[in-house]
Amino acid sequence: MTSDGRALELADRAWRAAEADEADAVVHVEQSGFARFAASEVHQPTLIRDETVTLRVVRDGRVGCAVTNRTHDEGLREAARRAAEAADSAPPDPGYAGLQPPSEVPGVAGYDEATASLTPEEQAASAAQAIEAAPDYGLYGYFTSGVTETAIASSTGHSVSQQMTDASALAIAASGDSSGYAEATSWKTGELDPAAVALEAAEKAARTRGAGEIEAGTHAAILEPYAFSELLWYFGFSSLGALPLLEGRSYLSGRLGERLFDERFTLIDDGLDPTGLPKAFDLEGVPKQRVTIVEDGVAKDVVWDRRTAKRAGEGHVSTGHGLTAPAQGFGPLPLNLCVMGGDASPDELAERVGDGIYVTRLHYLGVVDPREGLITGMTRDGTFRIEGGKVTKPLVNLRFTTSFPKLIEGLLGLSEEVVLVNRSDFYDERYPFGTKVPAVATSAFTIVGTGSAPGL
Amino acid sequence: MRDLCGQAIDVATASGAGYADSRAVTRRVQHVATKNGEVESVSESETEGIGVRVLVDGAWGFACDRRLSAEGAREAAERAVAFARASAGRAGRRRVELAPAPAEKGEYRTPAKRDPVDVPLSEKVELCLRAEAGMKHEDVKITEATVRAQREERAFRSSEGADLFQEFVECGAGIDALAIREGRVQLRSYPSAHGGSSAQAGWEYVEGLDLEAEAPRVGEEAAALLRADPCPSGVTTVVLDSEQMVLQVHESVGHPTELDRVYGTEAAYAGTSFLKPGDLGSLRYGSELMNVTADSTTPGGLGTFAYDDEGVPAGRQPVVEAGVLRGFLSSRETAALIGAGHGGSMRADGWSRMPLVRMTNLHLEPGEGSFDDLLADVDDGIFMCTNKSWSIDDKRLNFQFGTQIAWEVKHGKKGRMLRDATYTGVTPVFWGGLDGLAGAEGWQLYGLTNCGKGQPGQHAHVSHGTAAGRFRNVQVGVRDV
Repeated sequence: MTSDGRALELADRAWRAAEADEADAVVHVEQSGFARFAASEVHQPTLIRDETVTLRVVRDGRVGCAVTNRTHDEGLREAARRAAEAADSAPPDPGYAGLQPPSEVPGVAGYDEATASLTPEEQAASAAQAIEAAPDYGLYGYFTSGVTETAIASSTGHSVSQQMTDASALAIAASGDSSGYAEATSWKTGELDPAAVALEAAEKAARTRGAGEIEAGTHAAILEPYAFSELLWYFGFSSLGALPLLEGRSYLSGRLGERLFDERFTLIDDGLDPTGLPKAFDLEGVPKQRVTIVEDGVAKDVVWDRRTAKRAGEGHVSTGHGLTAPAQGFGPLPLNLCVMGGDASPDELAERVGDGIYVTRLHYLGVVDPREGLITGMTRDGTFRIEGGKVTKPLVNLRFTTSFPKLIEGLLGLSEEVVLVNRSDFYDERYPFGTKVPAVATSAFTIVGTGSAPGL
Repeated sequence: MRDLCGQAIDVATASGAGYADSRAVTRRVQHVATKNGEVESVSESETEGIGVRVLVDGAWGFACDRRLSAEGAREAAERAVAFARASAGRAGRRRVELAPAPAEKGEYRTPAKRDPVDVPLSEKVELCLRAEAGMKHEDVKITEATVRAQREERAFRSSEGADLFQEFVECGAGIDALAIREGRVQLRSYPSAHGGSSAQAGWEYVEGLDLEAEAPRVGEEAAALLRADPCPSGVTTVVLDSEQMVLQVHESVGHPTELDRVYGTEAAYAGTSFLKPGDLGSLRYGSELMNVTADSTTPGGLGTFAYDDEGVPAGRQPVVEAGVLRGFLSSRETAALIGAGHGGSMRADGWSRMPLVRMTNLHLEPGEGSFDDLLADVDDGIFMCTNKSWSIDDKRLNFQFGTQIAWEVKHGKKGRMLRDATYTGVTPVFWGGLDGLAGAEGWQLYGLTNCGKGQPGQHAHVSHGTAAGRFRNVQVGVRDV
């Protein structure tokens, strides 16, 4: 981890500008480049430089926040004034859990100088490598890389910072009647091969021509890591944080300790994993913990922040999954979910399915019923039939409305290989996160309708 | 801000840009959220910066910098040119051409009686707490209220001579009641789901929502849903209230008529469109009752402006007339590709994102008659209200939406309440089934602040005016079995 210390110095100046009983400041610094392309042409190429301070002040038990990217002294004074005004406008907050006391945070990986120093020209060249690797298709996607730093300082004396890098290549290779998808993410750009990503997408696209339909109903299926990652993420934000658990909205509400899933299913949240997108602490400055959420099919725990831990009472502490104060209404989020791999090769997964559906990725998911873990969405860019234990003919895009718990209850196998899949859509400030998942084979993936054929 | 934009343009053109535009933006947002009678969040956010977009040898580049200073403007311009030049040399690439547009000079400010940002935060907190109190019910376990206010200043200059300044104010509010009993969870919201409704208007808009008056009904309906029967499965007649109709229009008409999606340039994220450029003037989108208009001049609309983020003047254009596709939402680049118009739908999220083709205000024009007239012609059907879940495919054809509440309709009358209602369809088939649309009296304007698109992602604020509508032969009650 390298940093010139400027972000931490800014966080320190920011909280000291506050007139308050307590205060903390979260600084987020970003420099990133997005070499986006469409139809193999450069499209929306974007270079971003920003730094943002989120200041939280506490005055007589009242909490107020101000956010600014005007980081000179006058800007910080103005932010402090507005945060104080916000606090004074509210009644005391009985749920306020105090600021993080001074504490050691774990050393983590996640910063790569080569990635941090990529120039816009090199980002554009990486996009060009992808485009040139798939000359027979229109290529749609991006190469992006960024360096970000999060620094937190507070009146308790807590002071932490972390510099992170991330890079992603994403490609859809498409024609009028075909489309295939691939992506790769790492905090080291040297581990990415944009051309290989494009080739994977092109090879997948070549197999999607002449897609047919399949009857609605519950089918056995293989979900590639891209697809399973998205389904898990939607289940995760609706059910695996402490807030929905405490409020009775989560699938796990009242069910912790029960065996809810196949015994081969173990799910953790691990921000410390050097092969993921590592984080040393959350956005309250709480050290990250590895949390076992499901172990051998038994629901064990969810992720916590300081506020939900206080609300739950004795025996509960923050696991390092809090967001910044203005976003605390979402509750803590599991941003580093990881499903343990299994024992199967891709061919063995298909054999276990026998007859069913092969799904590359999903599109536009919606949680229909969080209490039942019911999620709807479409398959996209590579859906196939599995016949006699082999992946065979292409299928049109399919609408599914399926229960995540039933899907895992009906587990047929997990691939040995586990893949990091980016989950950030890069809205607002860049904060890299993703899931690590295997491919999954299940007996229970419910199709409720058919959509269009692959292709543009 | 305008001077800085001018400086950025000068640097960009001197560095080799054949075209350049620059936007300097300041944005201030207030957000108040209360939950179960306590304040959850009171926050004030501000952001400012400058974004420079250039064409070098017909290739785009964009760069931004948070510093509203000569140094920030200069560096953003130089970096935008360098990024464009890095891709401009690729062999065989298409040169971007822009449809001609007048170089406008002008200013615009949102008409507002009371600037919502100047309303004291304490007044906003008190409003939320009062509204929440009205939703109390023994089965309602979670009540929430939110208020937001925003002021944004946007300066724009282009190398073609455009010189613009616009100031927008927005505000909005919403309440939610979550009833929970014996493992069952039911939600009701007002005036709209997913954070309420907003308008480009003064604080008088929030006062007009009258959250306190609606709160008891919201709480009671959430509790009643716990005991309601589930929506049955089958093919039937569906009546959508104006609020659910907003989402239907947004997802199945707004997004597919964005011309960048039609040309495939959003394939990597939001998706494409089932529409093709040649469909203009001939494709049957829906029944004769279907008339959809894009209007960036609608009073109170979140997509209202004098000039879009390419400097193109606001206007009103038909998108669907009597069920036939008549227009696309476009930019100067996509208008040049299709050879018609000059854009007018380009919008960027703040200073740090490149403008995209976005909805402005997209309205389903009203029909005739009352809501009761719609129901009167339903022998057996379901009336659905307020969005709960949504999903639609990448071409905007196959959709599945869920609503918070529904009622059975028998022999033209509202009957028993139904929970967990969902419906699914295919866009032109569904709109083809539209055989009743309420008149202007029931037409309402809603403002959404959560429309996502682009990579890196951008949020857009858009409005839709709609009335309740009746659709025949709709699949309802989609569940995992």
